[in-house]
Amino acid sequence: MSAMAIPGRPIISRQLARLPGWIVLVLWTAAVLLPLYILVVSCFKTTAEIYDNRLGLPASWAFDNFVRAWTRADLGHNFINSLIVTGGAVTLTIVVSAMAAYPLSRYRLGWNAIMLGLFLSGIMLPIRLASVELFTLMRNLGLLDSLTGLILVYAAIRIPFAVFIFANFMRVLPSELDEAARMDGAGEVRILFQIILPMVKPAVSIVAIFTAIAVWNDFFFPLIFIFDDRYKTVPLAISVFVGQFRTDWGLVFASLAISMAPILIMYCLLARQIREGVGAQGGMK
Amino acid sequence: MAISRISSLKRTQQRMAVLFILPALAVYALFVLYPLAMSLWGSFFLWKGLRMTEFAGLSNFARLFVFPSDARLYGALWHNTAWFFGIMVFQNGIGLLFAWLLFLRDRGAAFFQSVFFFPAVLSPVIVGALWRLLLAPGGVVEWALNGLGLHHGSLTVLGNSHTALGVLIAVDAWNWMGLPVLIYTAGLRQISGQIFEAARLDGAGNARMLFSIALPLLMPALGTLTTLSFINTFNQFDIVYVMQGVQGNPSYATDTLVTYFYRLAFGAEGAVGITDIGLALALGTMLFLILSIGTLLMLRFFDRRTVQL
Repeated sequence: MSAMAIPGRPIISRQLARLPGWIVLVLWTAAVLLPLYILVVSCFKTTAEIYDNRLGLPASWAFDNFVRAWTRADLGHNFINSLIVTGGAVTLTIVVSAMAAYPLSRYRLGWNAIMLGLFLSGIMLPIRLASVELFTLMRNLGLLDSLTGLILVYAAIRIPFAVFIFANFMRVLPSELDEAARMDGAGEVRILFQIILPMVKPAVSIVAIFTAIAVWNDFFFPLIFIFDDRYKTVPLAISVFVGQFRTDWGLVFASLAISMAPILIMYCLLARQIREGVGAQGGMK
Repeated sequence: MAISRISSLKRTQQRMAVLFILPALAVYALFVLYPLAMSLWGSFFLWKGLRMTEFAGLSNFARLFVFPSDARLYGALWHNTAWFFGIMVFQNGIGLLFAWLLFLRDRGAAFFQSVFFFPAVLSPVIVGALWRLLLAPGGVVEWALNGLGLHHGSLTVLGNSHTALGVLIAVDAWNWMGLPVLIYTAGLRQISGQIFEAARLDGAGNARMLFSIALPLLMPALGTLTTLSFINTFNQFDIVYVMQGVQGNPSYATDTLVTYFYRLAFGAEGAVGITDIGLALALGTMLFLILSIGTLLMLRFFDRRTVQL
């Protein structure tokens, strides 16, 4: 299969032995990139052109589909809603989870383990199954058709994972850190936000990245809590477009491109952190 | 003096801890623990619309298994089970091959990993919508298959009840292929190079090294992937909803437990579209038990098979 098994052979035949493996890897790369390529070029084509010219570049790089998606289908509005919900949920999750993880990982309380266990049990809870009672609760709190409602639900769902990550990172910091600050008369709030939190920046970025991806992509909760078009988020709007603009392929492709743009940009900037974060999570359990 | 200072510090810490934990605990308890507990509890009651009336014992559960629910329930259970095994083979199996190939190469691993993982950061809604367009009659996949002479006429794999479920599983595997690749490569890199060195000197080939040496040491990674895939496939909803509609078309061939749950809970089951909360909660409780017991069994199974060096 590859060179590892045949160390004695000359380099050319060693490379040749690796060829089938390379072909497999390149084929899957094509399987991933080709649909995305078709998505991108189709955004610039008219529906007729999408049928006539399947794989080629568009006749002209017209932004007509994007403009129609943004204004006529009102995706711009959904986009802003998604940004607000994602930003709000990420901020809320980080602040309250870091606050909870700090005493749970660094104080001797006698009940750290039980409380931590209560939080961690939430990592695997199938919260979708609670959606009927959650719906009733949201209605009673006046949080249906509300971006605040979505932010609270997403934060609640992401808190267990965030507490887990923060507690793991904070536990290994030397105890002299907070003791010295305490001697200097610093309060606990200052110790957490000015000393501990800056020391666990990798944890902050892991929590921020994975919370942002999960919240930006979620479809289930807007589907059951949001009815008013003014508060729809991007995935919910897309699920409607696919049926509504069924024959207007250019517009649907452009909507898909717009809705994945923020994630694509983030992925290009943070690919290494994301790869390492996912690999590390796999190893932890 | 020192002792009183320590105990006063302890008292302060207890007080501060409560204040610090309270916001996270309040949000988590109110929006996750409370509704989940109420849903489990409510599955033992009769419901009138969204109102709980009287205690009903196990009658909601009994109704799940008789006409007209039984066909939906068994259908969805089978689809979720098939989905799980499909993902185990096509995602976690092929993913192991990809990870092994990347592990054997010193160049390009980061590039391929990044490409393979990219679909996993996209919303399943976007992935589903994209593949729905590509696979539609008149779409690019039909054009390509016709051009290659592999298929003739209109491509209707999503409208065919024999192929639709398989296509959705393949789309899901496309979506998440990067996950096993990343988790396996992280696991492989933790294995000491000396072990592979020694095996190679003993004349073991690559396939032998993968199955006899790497795989037993990858048990924690395999355990994580199996558990995650189990949880994800039994919660499957988005891809079905976007590609086949909430009824799991055609004729319920792609229906899953959560799409069935959604229809019962939010009123899209049957022609008249009325809700049946009691039945929905019973289904939810059953699914909760399947997930909890299944996850615990899997964690134990893989724990026992973990090889310590």
